[in-house]
Amino acid sequence: MTDASRPRVGLFVTCLVDAMRPEIGFAAIRLLEDAGCDVEVPTRQTCCGQPAYNSGDDVSTAAVARQVIAAFEPFDHLIVPSGSCAGTIQHGYPALLASDAEWGPRAARLAEKTHEIISYLVDIRNYTPGRLRLEGSATYHDSCAGLRELGIHDQPRRLLATVDSLEMRPLDGENVCCGFGGMFCVKYPAISNAIVDEKADAVERSGADMLLAGDLGCLMNMAGKLNRRGSKVRCFHTIEILAGGGDGPAIGEKS
Amino acid sequence: MRTRDSILSAIRAGLGGSRNDPAAIAAEAAELLAAPETIRPPLVAATRVDAFCEKVEALGVTLDRIGSIGEVPASVRRYLEDQRLSAEIAVESAALFRDLDWGEIRPRLAVAPDALAAVGLARHGIAESGSLVIHSCKETRILLALLPLHHIVVLRAANIVSHLEDYAALLVGHETSPRNAVLITGPSGTTDIEGSYVRGAHGPGFVHVILVVDA
Amino acid sequence: MTATTRPGFKARSDAALANSTLKTAIDRTAERKRAAALARFAEYEAARSRGSAIKDHVIANLDHYLEMFERNATASGAKVHWAATEAEACDIVIRLCREAGAKRVTRSKSMLGEEIGLPDALGSAGIERVETDLAEHIIQLAGEHPSHIIWPAMHRTREQVAELFNADHKPPPADDEAASMVQSARHVLREKFLSAGVGISGANFLIADTGATCTVTNEGNAELTTTPPRLHIVTAGIEKLVPSTSHAMALLRLLVRAATGSELTQYTTFHCGPKRPGDADGPQEMHIVLVDNGRSEMIANEFRDMLRCIRCGACMNHCVVYRQIGGHAYGGTYPGPMGAVLTPVFDGLAPSRDLPFACTMNGRCAEVCPVEIPLPMLLRSWRGRSWRAGLESEPMRTGLVAWAGLARRPSLYRMASGIGVRALRLLGRSGWIGSLPFAAGWTRHRDLPSPTGGTFMERYKAERGKRPEDRR
Ligand code: SF4
Repeated sequence: MTDASRPRVGLFVTCLVDAMRPEIGFAAIRLLEDAGCDVEVPTRQTCCGQPAYNSGDDVSTAAVARQVIAAFEPFDHLIVPSGSCAGTIQHGYPALLASDAEWGPRAARLAEKTHEIISYLVDIRNYTPGRLRLEGSATYHDSCAGLRELGIHDQPRRLLATVDSLEMRPLDGENVCCGFGGMFCVKYPAISNAIVDEKADAVERSGADMLLAGDLGCLMNMAGKLNRRGSKVRCFHTIEILAGGGDGPAIGEKS
Repeated sequence: MRTRDSILSAIRAGLGGSRNDPAAIAAEAAELLAAPETIRPPLVAATRVDAFCEKVEALGVTLDRIGSIGEVPASVRRYLEDQRLSAEIAVESAALFRDLDWGEIRPRLAVAPDALAAVGLARHGIAESGSLVIHSCKETRILLALLPLHHIVVLRAANIVSHLEDYAALLVGHETSPRNAVLITGPSGTTDIEGSYVRGAHGPGFVHVILVVDA
Repeated sequence: MTATTRPGFKARSDAALANSTLKTAIDRTAERKRAAALARFAEYEAARSRGSAIKDHVIANLDHYLEMFERNATASGAKVHWAATEAEACDIVIRLCREAGAKRVTRSKSMLGEEIGLPDALGSAGIERVETDLAEHIIQLAGEHPSHIIWPAMHRTREQVAELFNADHKPPPADDEAASMVQSARHVLREKFLSAGVGISGANFLIADTGATCTVTNEGNAELTTTPPRLHIVTAGIEKLVPSTSHAMALLRLLVRAATGSELTQYTTFHCGPKRPGDADGPQEMHIVLVDNGRSEMIANEFRDMLRCIRCGACMNHCVVYRQIGGHAYGGTYPGPMGAVLTPVFDGLAPSRDLPFACTMNGRCAEVCPVEIPLPMLLRSWRGRSWRAGLESEPMRTGLVAWAGLARRPSLYRMASGIGVRALRLLGRSGWIGSLPFAAGWTRHRDLPSPTGGTFMERYKAERGKRPEDRR
């Protein structure tokens, strides 16, 4: 255990961030360090197991879960830039391993110290970003797992309110699912499309230049739909903005 | 009997075989009703009568407060005149109504399928919800409260209880339950077509309460 | 009703999505309901956990309460019947109708009645059935099943209802405004109420300590259905028990608020036995059919929580999938999230296995459920059962097993994702990928952002090399 005032945190990158948008991972490191943490990225991580978990393959999910538990239990905290991965580790793992005498308690202990990054920064680290300035307007979508499994609602709004010149606009149905749902969006593409189309309508109605959210899966879904519709709304993970990345390329923009 | 027993034994097996002691079950059930004020909304006004009145009016029910039972016929007449309804109406055969001077109102006991108006008596009012309670009995026809377009209901203020549980406490065991106890909360309505609210679906489109405040 | 005889879920949901009138109908009702804001009160959350505790208590002592109910209902003069299956339940009802010599029965909306297939069973028995709930009247004219458990005709626009009424009602409604059509139905059904030999209702609650059944309606059709005929038959699921009228009241507050946003239904009626000596009106006989139909099995498995369901419909009102495809696409009696949990219980998992998967797991349903049913968790249980039973397609299974194998070998995974990312970058040089054969489900409707560079792990390793202080 390190000095409590300088916790040693393990960053769980998530498979989507790893492959599609590493900038989110680097933004996470920057913010965590700024908030006084020692950040490490364990190499024995791949994915939290949601593809298997959401398909009902509990055996594979449990195997992946054990690997994550073993890799992250040495740290003071497991921090992850995704509400849905955090939800899986916090709620899914303990439920899945409940009857396992060895791994059940270990899963429960890891769940205790697992946090989605924005709620960690605000609730545990009491963090406020330094002077940040970004011209323009943005609207925020509450990703479902973060909102309902973890109760993340005020924290991102509080941090975004500290950004100078950034006007936050309300989003109709901000707490309504965007239709991503992991495998759902490719298994039932027509239904998913109808849902995300309504979401894109709402985003455009908000008149904001930017759409922010805390989960890359949802963001890719909404950004992909907005782009297909020819919309100019730029999409970012909230922590990219907070780490000063709002001037860089948005999701889908060429670097 | 065979089906009954096989269902019950499937349930017992599903519950793990052991049966709870009836007294323990009753105690747990009573515990689930403890501190009712923590699981229900408070009344919207300081007194039961005021809360009841506020609620019924919010439901679109009209209200006339009178000082004694003797004033019921006059109040009914006022309503009929306001609504331009015929004075030939069905009136419940309640003992309370029998000795009243109905004047030019010609009460009939039978309620026609397409009756325009009828006068009934409510046993209770419920302040929490603005509900009127009628019980089937020798004197009360349930249909009298359902068939007419205008249901005129006489209620004594003293019979208004505070919350739903206070009324429910009066129905314990089948001996105290009437065949039919109907809580009427506002006029009949429907939102079945595109969610738009329309009054008078099958039951009365208009409910008028004559509240007798005779202390 | 078996799901196997109907087109599959995908075909049904595609058809629903292509039907713009359906979407208009759902949106019109949904908009108006949103306007009628939820009648919450400060104590709502406490009321909600108490309500759940009441239902849990009943289920944990269900045998006790069923016997108590039977005793008291019998003492009040009602006759109690037991049915293990939907077929048994229908047989009992039809036998009772025949014995009473009834040619015409009126029915007050009951989802249990739909679940056991009573409308069709009455039809095959040659008994004229008159649905008295306005929405049920509409779908009876249309020859359909309910698409919502509170608004069975939610899928029909005002204009479509007018068409049905113009063809059936004599005289037809004055115009296609909702008010005129309600007026017309009131007129047409009035005479049928009074001439039926049997009135059939469901029950929202069965009160153990009085033996009464409780119905709630806004129209008043339950009272008009159950009072004039000689026989009143109730069909109810065995999970509807509550210990006393007071317990029913605690649940009523939740049910009505969650269902329609009002505080109490216009008519809340407790039916306790047949007409008493001297009563001014009421049926000569009252029969109560207690239906199991899979419920006793749910007590023993992971779906026990579902027995708390009070059929309020809130979960479907707030479901993004339901909002898009409507109720019929689900293919069972009950649509939406609660239907996706229940239909596999009634129809078997194989024909209905799409239902637990056609869900984004967003959790809104559990959040709005007045009795705290963890619907997403229950859907997850079905997914697990589906996987274990090998019901997934072969490519899906092999794909997932291969992926899981990789996910457990970090260095191999790293190599594979590195290759994948480079391939995607080649396809998406503009920043976006517009079409990707093996992810057609995605790219048919939206673009895929191209990966921004090498994987995080590659880049992190490279950077960390430059920043040795990070290694500490
Ligand atoms: S599952 Fe919950 S929300 Fe859905 S109908 Fe049942 S009680 Fe209502």
